[in-house]
Amino acid sequence: MEIGPIWRAMMRNKTGAILIALQIAVTMAIMVNAISIMQERGRVMSRSSGIDEHNIFVITSVGFAEDFNERITIEEDLAMLRVMPGVVNAIQSNSVPLSGGGWSMGLQTEPGAEIEGTGVAIYFVDEHGIDTFGLNLVAGENFDATDITWRERSDTDWPDKTIITRAMAETLYPDDPDGALGKTVYISDTEPLTITGIIEQMQAPWNSWDGVERVMLAPTHTLFGATRYIIRTEPGMRDSLMPQVEELLAERNKNRIVRSMRSMDEIRERSYRGDSSMITILTFTIVLLIAVTSLGIVGLASFSVNRRTKQIGTRRALGASKVAILRYFMTENFIISFLGVLLGAGLTIGLNILMIEAFSLTRIAWYLVPVAMLMLLMVGQVAVFGPARRASSVPPAVATRTV
Amino acid sequence: MLSMQNISMVYRAGMVETHALREFSLEVAEGDFVSVTGPSGSGKTTFLNIAGLLEQFTDGRYELDGRDVSGLSDTESSAVRNEKIGFVFQSFNLIPDLNLFDNVDVPLRYRGFNAAERKRRIEKVLETVGLASRMKHLPSQLSGGQQQRVAIARALAGEPRFLLADEPTGNLDSHMAMSVMELISEINSNGTTIIMVTHDPVLAEMASRNVHILDGRVSDDHPDIQIAQAATA
Amino acid sequence: MFSYYLKLGWLSIRRNPLLSTLMVAAIAVGIGSCMTIITVNYIMSSNPIPQKSDQLFYVQLDSWDPNNEDDDGFEPPEQVTYLDAMALMKADKAYRQIASNRSGLVLEPQGEGERPFAVDTRNTWADFFPMFDLRFIYGSGWDDSADRNLERVVVLSKEINERVFGGEDSVGRSVRLNGMDFQVVGVIDEFLPVPKFYDVTNGAFNEPEEIFIPFNISVEYEFPRNGNTNCWKTPDGDGFEAFLNSECAWIQFWAELRNETEKQDYMTFLNAYAEQQKELGRFPRPLNNQLSNVMEWMEKQEVVDDDAQVMLGLSLLFLLVCLLNTIGLLLAKFLGKSGDISLRRALGASRSSLFIQHMIESGLIGLGGGVLGLGLTWLGLRGIEMLFGDFVKNLVGLDWVMVLTAIGLAILSALLAGLYPTWRACRIAPASQLKIQ
Repeated sequence: MEIGPIWRAMMRNKTGAILIALQIAVTMAIMVNAISIMQERGRVMSRSSGIDEHNIFVITSVGFAEDFNERITIEEDLAMLRVMPGVVNAIQSNSVPLSGGGWSMGLQTEPGAEIEGTGVAIYFVDEHGIDTFGLNLVAGENFDATDITWRERSDTDWPDKTIITRAMAETLYPDDPDGALGKTVYISDTEPLTITGIIEQMQAPWNSWDGVERVMLAPTHTLFGATRYIIRTEPGMRDSLMPQVEELLAERNKNRIVRSMRSMDEIRERSYRGDSSMITILTFTIVLLIAVTSLGIVGLASFSVNRRTKQIGTRRALGASKVAILRYFMTENFIISFLGVLLGAGLTIGLNILMIEAFSLTRIAWYLVPVAMLMLLMVGQVAVFGPARRASSVPPAVATRTV
Repeated sequence: MLSMQNISMVYRAGMVETHALREFSLEVAEGDFVSVTGPSGSGKTTFLNIAGLLEQFTDGRYELDGRDVSGLSDTESSAVRNEKIGFVFQSFNLIPDLNLFDNVDVPLRYRGFNAAERKRRIEKVLETVGLASRMKHLPSQLSGGQQQRVAIARALAGEPRFLLADEPTGNLDSHMAMSVMELISEINSNGTTIIMVTHDPVLAEMASRNVHILDGRVSDDHPDIQIAQAATA
Repeated sequence: MFSYYLKLGWLSIRRNPLLSTLMVAAIAVGIGSCMTIITVNYIMSSNPIPQKSDQLFYVQLDSWDPNNEDDDGFEPPEQVTYLDAMALMKADKAYRQIASNRSGLVLEPQGEGERPFAVDTRNTWADFFPMFDLRFIYGSGWDDSADRNLERVVVLSKEINERVFGGEDSVGRSVRLNGMDFQVVGVIDEFLPVPKFYDVTNGAFNEPEEIFIPFNISVEYEFPRNGNTNCWKTPDGDGFEAFLNSECAWIQFWAELRNETEKQDYMTFLNAYAEQQKELGRFPRPLNNQLSNVMEWMEKQEVVDDDAQVMLGLSLLFLLVCLLNTIGLLLAKFLGKSGDISLRRALGASRSSLFIQHMIESGLIGLGGGVLGLGLTWLGLRGIEMLFGDFVKNLVGLDWVMVLTAIGLAILSALLAGLYPTWRACRIAPASQLKIQ
């Protein structure tokens, strides 16, 4: 390799080289940080909500007429839904995972207003809740029909049983999460609840909450005016059942409207739309960025080949083969790109530190840096190949031309 | 040393054919110093390009140092140029971004010598042309005459069997031209075959033989002109 | 002379179509990506009510839990309780003031066979309309007396009036909401503040509500609350009455204070109110009431989301890459015509005239990049709209400020990029390039 003279010749014309190196460096800083953000979003999006998402949909019923009886409507609706062919089970609940809206309270292991409770998301369900959501009860037992209470919007009473997630048990009893079953916890500072069951996993309605797996089920039907039904279907039946259910509910009682019917898949898509859009935008940015940088390399390399036509001819006359000329330009680009990615590694880490401080993003995975360095070196080689080939086809007779 | 038989060179541009050389034949013996003259457009440069393997010819046969070099591949001709031919150009063709050392180094790199060998040769030839002390200088820091000496040093560094010079003094004033010509004669006296293309009859007479080209053919061949060097010196 | 330089610039651009296209494209891509993101940020951080944003104040009263301290100390709750909202309304100490919250009702159209539908409702007070400069197509807002006398009046949005009354003047007619008749007193013209500053707790970029009714009515009939309700204490007892008297915060409170004096006075009043409540055993925390004008409140609520800012940073870096690219290409181009430059120098062109000539050429390239970049920005915004759907409906418009910014930024970028190459070009010595050629 003839790195020495290439380097010395480059040092005579630094600007172009510096510009390309800087471009590659900044490109790398953007690229690696963007990929890191994408990885983080991907990780967040791939978390399981804990429920049988593909076969569940929700629909809301809102009564408006004076003589609308919410309780009877709920009881009749549920009875009807549960016997519909294709329906596995159905419940009324206040919310579902990923929906973004729900109810949270604090749970504490000792009673008292001065004690800071642990935040927990509450799903009000009946004895069909575990089956409808498709949850995995790992300890204790499900609610019984007799446990179920009815709660008005402004009521403050709590039932005396609850089923919590394992993550919640671990937060409440970090030393002995397995012993949580049967223990009493307090809600609203002093109201006691007995933990009668533990479910493996379920997400709260807010996907960006740091306690996203802290969930409790309360054996309660709510009379909040707007009633949300959660319906789980046999695999493959969901899409055909959705319009049927909507029509049936609307027809069965004219004193209410039904609305906001959504499958869990749609709720998931809406919940993570910001994240998935971010991933798309960042992917697009990276592609554009690499395109711009490559075109820059092509442009400057072409210019440099044009400027050095005579020189290339002379080299050819002095015995350089085509391959030697090709190698010259490829090597030159390699040196520039290598400096670029070295600087880029520094910039990448600097930018990452900034982003961590400003936006509490995560640290980049170490392997992204060498991978990006290699990739950009390759991009440089690919981009310069065209101009380098043009250089290698400069005929040696150019050397004897006087103009 | 060099033998061309019935070489033809036809440039085609669309429907127009230009005959740059027609059935051109020339024999040059080892150790000769041949000057090639002719008016503009006579085919001098084409002859030079073909002799130096910078261009392929259309028809005929060309032997260099006993080897048939007609129809060599691009890579093979590169290797032949590198090993057997030294070039001296009218406008020097030094690489402006490289210092003298690196300029002379260029052909040696392609030859594949190791670093020590290259260094030895570069220092030796720069010594020969009297510029060893300016090895780290850039071409732009030298006078035209000095630049051409560097170019000659570069041509000699690979110890070629023959030297092709294309108007080597064309861009120099008469004083510098003379000193460059002296250098070339000296090289010839050391046994290197030289072909020099020039339009200057005075320089042409400094060679041991003059070939005049007209319309792509040898029109005149003076095998033993007086070596004017002694007379003018 | 300027037009001569323009002509020279244009000729030079045309002489190297590939290089010129690359430069224009590089600037366009940089501007396009940058402006797309800048536009989203610009709209997110724009002033939704510029004419009086510094006279409208969001009121926060610190009635919260003494045992719940953040890392940054005590922060007052984002909303106020019913008790406090009613006390502040009754005191009437500001030039104008409103308590408001969001709910959802069911509207039953009167026509045969028309299905009832849900409407987003804002429960508020008479001052809401003059305070936030709402314009009316028909009628007007309701009077203070309607608030006091629990009159069932309603103000409709343009869309709802269109849907229910076919866009006719519906003042005096009635609409049925949750089984009750309300009398229409006004229909507002389009009202689309971005961000939706008066209630950011329900999403800063959501659509405004479709109908407006007196707050007192919504309490009287216990209409459902669609918004955040935060309680640090469980209400004492069941029932709506207990809820109203609880420490649950669910109401946004705005005061219009026309000058610094009014603001000071109001703050004094709020603090006195808090002190008085302390005596009654409420407000257990240290005194920490806050008044934030519209833009301060937007800042506090961080309505510009992190993603938009991250994207902004990355896109500015992207523009930097495009600029580095352009510098390189311009350098290549200007030095590529050194012969031309040194000839001009030999013919008497001064350095400054060469400087102007090349800066104009750079500017022209910037202009091209800006125009093309504007097109890309438009495409970019459509792309964002496609990705985010109705989440960003109000965030992807291009106004003339953004159009000028795009062109300006492009030209500025190109001039900046042209500076160094131009300087290099001006240093080419006269006739240095003439010798050999």
